[in-house]
Amino acid sequence: MRGRTGVGAAVRIGWLVVWIVVAANLALILWAVLTSLRDGPDILRHTVGLPHDPKFANYVRAFREGGFAQATLNSVLAGGMSSLLAIVLAAPAAYALARHRTRMSSAITMLFALGLGVPGQVLVVPLFVGLAQVDLVDSRLGLTMVYVGLAMPFTVFLLTGFFAGIPTALEEAASIDGAGPVRTFVSVVAPVARGGLVTAFLLQFIASWNETLFALVLTHSQDKVTLPVALAEFVASAQFSGLDYGTMFAGVCIILVPMLALFSWMGARIIQGMTLGIGK
Amino acid sequence: MFWLFTSPALLAYLVLFVAPVAYAFWTSFYKWDGMGDKQWRGLRNYQVLFEDPYFRGALVNTLKITFVGGSITFVLSLLLTLVLREMRGRLFARSALFFPSLVNGMVFGIAAGFLFSPSGPVNQALGLLGIDTPPKWLATENLFPMILGTLVWTATGYYTSIIMAAVDQIPPYLYEAAELDGANAFQRFRVVTLPMAWDVIATCAVLWTVSSVKIFELILLFGGSSSATPPADTWNTALYVYVQAFPQATVPRLGMATAAAITSLLMITVITVVLRRLLRREPVEN
Repeated sequence: MRGRTGVGAAVRIGWLVVWIVVAANLALILWAVLTSLRDGPDILRHTVGLPHDPKFANYVRAFREGGFAQATLNSVLAGGMSSLLAIVLAAPAAYALARHRTRMSSAITMLFALGLGVPGQVLVVPLFVGLAQVDLVDSRLGLTMVYVGLAMPFTVFLLTGFFAGIPTALEEAASIDGAGPVRTFVSVVAPVARGGLVTAFLLQFIASWNETLFALVLTHSQDKVTLPVALAEFVASAQFSGLDYGTMFAGVCIILVPMLALFSWMGARIIQGMTLGIGK
Repeated sequence: MFWLFTSPALLAYLVLFVAPVAYAFWTSFYKWDGMGDKQWRGLRNYQVLFEDPYFRGALVNTLKITFVGGSITFVLSLLLTLVLREMRGRLFARSALFFPSLVNGMVFGIAAGFLFSPSGPVNQALGLLGIDTPPKWLATENLFPMILGTLVWTATGYYTSIIMAAVDQIPPYLYEAAELDGANAFQRFRVVTLPMAWDVIATCAVLWTVSSVKIFELILLFGGSSSATPPADTWNTALYVYVQAFPQATVPRLGMATAAAITSLLMITVITVVLRRLLRREPVEN
């Protein structure tokens, strides 16, 4: 009846659906990139179309006048610094929590895990009020600190699972050689765990790159905002000045394309990291 | 050594996360504009909150996202997982399905504003099919269903990828054995895939609960609405908190905002506890 490749009609329809969705996703990205190379009036006339002579004028305007150059720098800084700091803080903690199986350590693990269930809107008012007290509203440092805090539950959770999977033999060898716990961690465990640390960094960087609520609330000066705020403000300013669609799509691509590049380069690791965080 | 390693992270977490949650809880019992003195209101704050039609609308929208959006997302994800396992080019398909979850939700909002505009490509395509009076996609009353649709679209790709990664860990001989017993694709899915990937599916359901309640940027700019805040019909509790706490023209109502935030936290807690009970292993292993 059914050959090696024999599959039911229902499954074949399913494949068709999958490829339609895949094609639509790819078309959406392609459309955004192509549109960012066309000028505004042309976009208004035809939503879909090829750029007549592809120009980067939209990007030049976005970077110069739309404030996207500074915003890109701010996004890279806030994302990079907060991810790095989050890992420097979380990795030793996760390691200790994975190795010490005491009641205290499970209580602390639980405390971090509870944070996974807290949505950002609970923290936004208190963090705004608190940062205003110490004059860290509208500051890169303030936003970076907030991102470090937000990163703690997931990063600790992810890395605890990761360290638990590393055999203890190496550390035992190191401690027989007389290395203290800090040296063992820095020069023996951390190098072995590099893969997990890189994954945690990537996931945190992606999260802060796209983070919008806190960035919107905590930054507003031209030289402090991150990309999502720059884009939201660019769209909002249109009600007074009329929207320059070309520049807006350039802004969209400035947010979108780095994620696309990162995903093409490290996609397997990103998906694996998200699965690891969920599966185990 | 334990405290040396854990205390920096613990300190950062307590100061930047745990204390703010406690502060939000405390503030939710006061009337406060952020500048003057706090006035004790107690639970009356919550009563006022639930009498506010905007909050009720936002709460209903949040529940719709979590339950209606969630059911559709998970049914579709499981169906896609069912067919993806045996598909050629599946790894590429998985990447393309996953990618939208790395894109800021505002991008989809802006894109929808163009694609669904009255003379946009969607209506043009419908025109070719002979549909000359397409729905007014971006009319205020249709915005929320559109948001829900966009969300289901991106979330389905995400959860399909995650569940698929778990399915890849299932030893192939289980499928071969089921096939030898004459099980068709759907039966193999029911007796092998579902029980073996159940833990991951259950965790995904919990993850969905949290992430569906904090959706923000997708709604913020949906349909390319250029005013400072999107129409109230589309608000969820996250938008409600934002609008109450950081209004453009009126006085901030921080008590209301934190009460709404705490309400959404309680909602997540209750749903998560119930889900964990419902999704215990026994039911599938029949």
